[in-house]
Amino acid sequence: MGSIKKALRAVLLRVETLFEAVFGARLNPITQLGSLGWFLFWIVTVSGIYVYIFFDTGVTQAWESLEQLARQQPYAGGIMRSLHRYASDALVVVVLVHSLREFAMDRMRGNRWFPWVTGIFLLWFMYACGITGYWLVWDQLAQYVAVATTEWLDSIGIFAEPIARNFLDSERLSGRFFTLVIYMHIALPLVMLLAMWIHIQRHAHARVNPPRALAVGTLVALIALSLAWPATSQAPADLDRAPFTVGLDWFYLAVYPLLERVPGGTLWLLLVGGSVLLALLPWLPPLRKAPPARVDLANCNGCSRCFADCPFGAITMVRRTDGLKFEQEASVDADLCMSCGICVGACPTATPFRRVGHLSAGIELPDRSVSGLRDEVGAASARIAGDARVIVFGCDHDADCAALADAETAVVRLPCVGMLPPPFIDLVVMRHQAEGVLLSGCAGHDCFERLGDQWTEQRISDQRDPNLRARVPRDRVAVAWNNPTRHGALRETLAQFRTHLRGLAAGGPAAQAGKNPAPWRARLRGLPAPARHAGQAVAYAALAGAIGLLATRPAFTYLAEDQALLKLSFSHAGQPLKPCRRYTHEELTNTPFSERSATSCERGRWPVYVELDLDGRPLYRGQHEPAGLWNDGPSTVYARFEVPAGKHRLDGRLREDGKASGFNFESSRTVTLQPGENFVIDFRAAEGGFVFGLSGRTDATEDPR
Amino acid sequence: MTLLQWQDNFSIGIEEVDHEHRELIELINALHDSLANDRSAVRVEAVLGEVLADISAHFALEEKVMRARSYDALEEHKADHERLLDDLRDLMDEQAAGAALDDHAFGQRLSEWFAGHFRTHDARFHRHLVS
Repeated sequence: MGSIKKALRAVLLRVETLFEAVFGARLNPITQLGSLGWFLFWIVTVSGIYVYIFFDTGVTQAWESLEQLARQQPYAGGIMRSLHRYASDALVVVVLVHSLREFAMDRMRGNRWFPWVTGIFLLWFMYACGITGYWLVWDQLAQYVAVATTEWLDSIGIFAEPIARNFLDSERLSGRFFTLVIYMHIALPLVMLLAMWIHIQRHAHARVNPPRALAVGTLVALIALSLAWPATSQAPADLDRAPFTVGLDWFYLAVYPLLERVPGGTLWLLLVGGSVLLALLPWLPPLRKAPPARVDLANCNGCSRCFADCPFGAITMVRRTDGLKFEQEASVDADLCMSCGICVGACPTATPFRRVGHLSAGIELPDRSVSGLRDEVGAASARIAGDARVIVFGCDHDADCAALADAETAVVRLPCVGMLPPPFIDLVVMRHQAEGVLLSGCAGHDCFERLGDQWTEQRISDQRDPNLRARVPRDRVAVAWNNPTRHGALRETLAQFRTHLRGLAAGGPAAQAGKNPAPWRARLRGLPAPARHAGQAVAYAALAGAIGLLATRPAFTYLAEDQALLKLSFSHAGQPLKPCRRYTHEELTNTPFSERSATSCERGRWPVYVELDLDGRPLYRGQHEPAGLWNDGPSTVYARFEVPAGKHRLDGRLREDGKASGFNFESSRTVTLQPGENFVIDFRAAEGGFVFGLSGRTDATEDPR
Repeated sequence: MTLLQWQDNFSIGIEEVDHEHRELIELINALHDSLANDRSAVRVEAVLGEVLADISAHFALEEKVMRARSYDALEEHKADHERLLDDLRDLMDEQAAGAALDDHAFGQRLSEWFAGHFRTHDARFHRHLVS
């Protein structure tokens, strides 16, 4: 598992770097997958509501109503319908990459088990929404999805009667079940929305809106795809004929072809077992859990800054407990705390200038005290020499800041760069402990601890408290946000920063303190603007193209062209284990009046045993137990066979009395099956036994025995 | 010698803020008194560092209270806070650079600042609260 994760991480980080070069850090779609998912969900919702207005919910009118929509308003309804499909497909892409990425980056530990596990539920919801959606079109794909899904659900064995019997043939098609699916296609997304809201509950400032440019780009790409390649229905459903091939939406229906090879129960086991295993991942080794942040009440006046900055909602402000005259104090929920230290960076008492007695901030990481940090910075300063000394504050997830250490560069590593209280930068720069400070963290907008880069930027740019004092010259404070593949960029940033610091020493143009609160940034060689725009166009086109293709291609061959489908399906109650008998007169007089009845019937029935022969050779043998807790319900049979088209002799036999041999019902027919025909063999005792094919069928000839 | 003196008209009417104001004055006085024995630059700077941290924390709380009560002059008030912190940091850097602490001037500076801030900015907040 560890090596899979590592390999996946290496791939995803390279993709992220590539996209950052093309889109820039702020618009990098790889770091905006969650918010893109929300955006796509809204597109699907709006387009879905629009299509629903014109949709006819009857099973016989559904297909035609969608055809009319595309015919009568190709530029409104047609696009809305295509958007509904393609945005749903894009949602699958975004959600799957999002899940893979959180897995690869190990962002599911500690408190993060919550979005991880709720995310697994969301995957199921997403697929259920998509599958029920394809059902509603009631074209050949819908027919295939309806039959395959109900057969698959029946393999669980929780339904008294196989629900696949709702879609046996045109005579037995149940419009009610179809209506139920429509309601599910409305209810499931609503529940999914609730689950999405729950999914982000443990993240402060969760990103649910992608940057506008990215949202517009995605929407334009999907509209372009809808225009170029409108989503259409396949031929209308006809339950009396099985579709030979269907254009499958591989984003939602990729597992369906497996159902023709793997038993449905096995596939359920694989999917449910796989989900349970995934849900357990947050607790599998290697577990690293640093002790949670601790509040030191002697230094806490309840100012709420740590509460405002905690990315994981681990801090709450509670009523004061120590009798001091403050109203509130910070309180850490140890289960939610990720030990990132961002709260320490927010605490106004975490300043290295305090030197009377023991230095303790109002909130501290037990593993990484502020006083220890102060000592470490002092030692770091003492270690380096030269005319352009730099102290780098980095984290564990950046582009390996530790490797920058040399005679002029000291590196102080923190759990997250957002843990650094701004007064430390003040101290280093104003007391000449180094000529410059470089703050190094994860890729921009993708901080491992979620908000470390954002808060750091805001604190040193005078946009967020605690701010770096205006008096600290910002051209001595540099920032570098790089993922682990960008060590070269980090090194280059340091080299440029040092040259810049030497220039300052030589009397170069120093930015006036207080005038420009923005930190210094390196000018790294990137792609020229035309290349970036072309790259973005290619990325959008690739997404749209992949969706357009995989939404219907490659087609799936359900039935070979010279085959027909034979379905043996019926529900029939076997004979009672014991025949009912009349109560004797004596028994009746001994029974209280209110409990008397004429006959005594014991519950329980014999199983139904069925044989079906095709051209004299056994096709099916099966014993079916009665349903119900008391084994007194009907026995049900559902079996599907592919047989070559042409003339066939069928022999059906049924035993319902539990005897060792002999049959209560026997019938034979010779029928000519057309290619692709869906031929149903029913059983109705009242009509004398087996019923072959539709009632109006003329070519079925009763065989003389 | 007492450097700063609490006056009842400093009170703005929020218990936790007034409490911390009083505490701050006590702390500054105590730290100042402790300098009588040791007036080395290191000691002076350490004391100022302590004052800086406490005032920073106090301002953080006061600004939170103001935000919670949607105080319309928060921006000006906060600017005055920043001014004091900058002043204090200047003083600390001067000390670090080896300047001798002029007791009288230091006391003057602090009490002017406090009294001035209390009389104008805090008083205005007090009026906002009672109105």
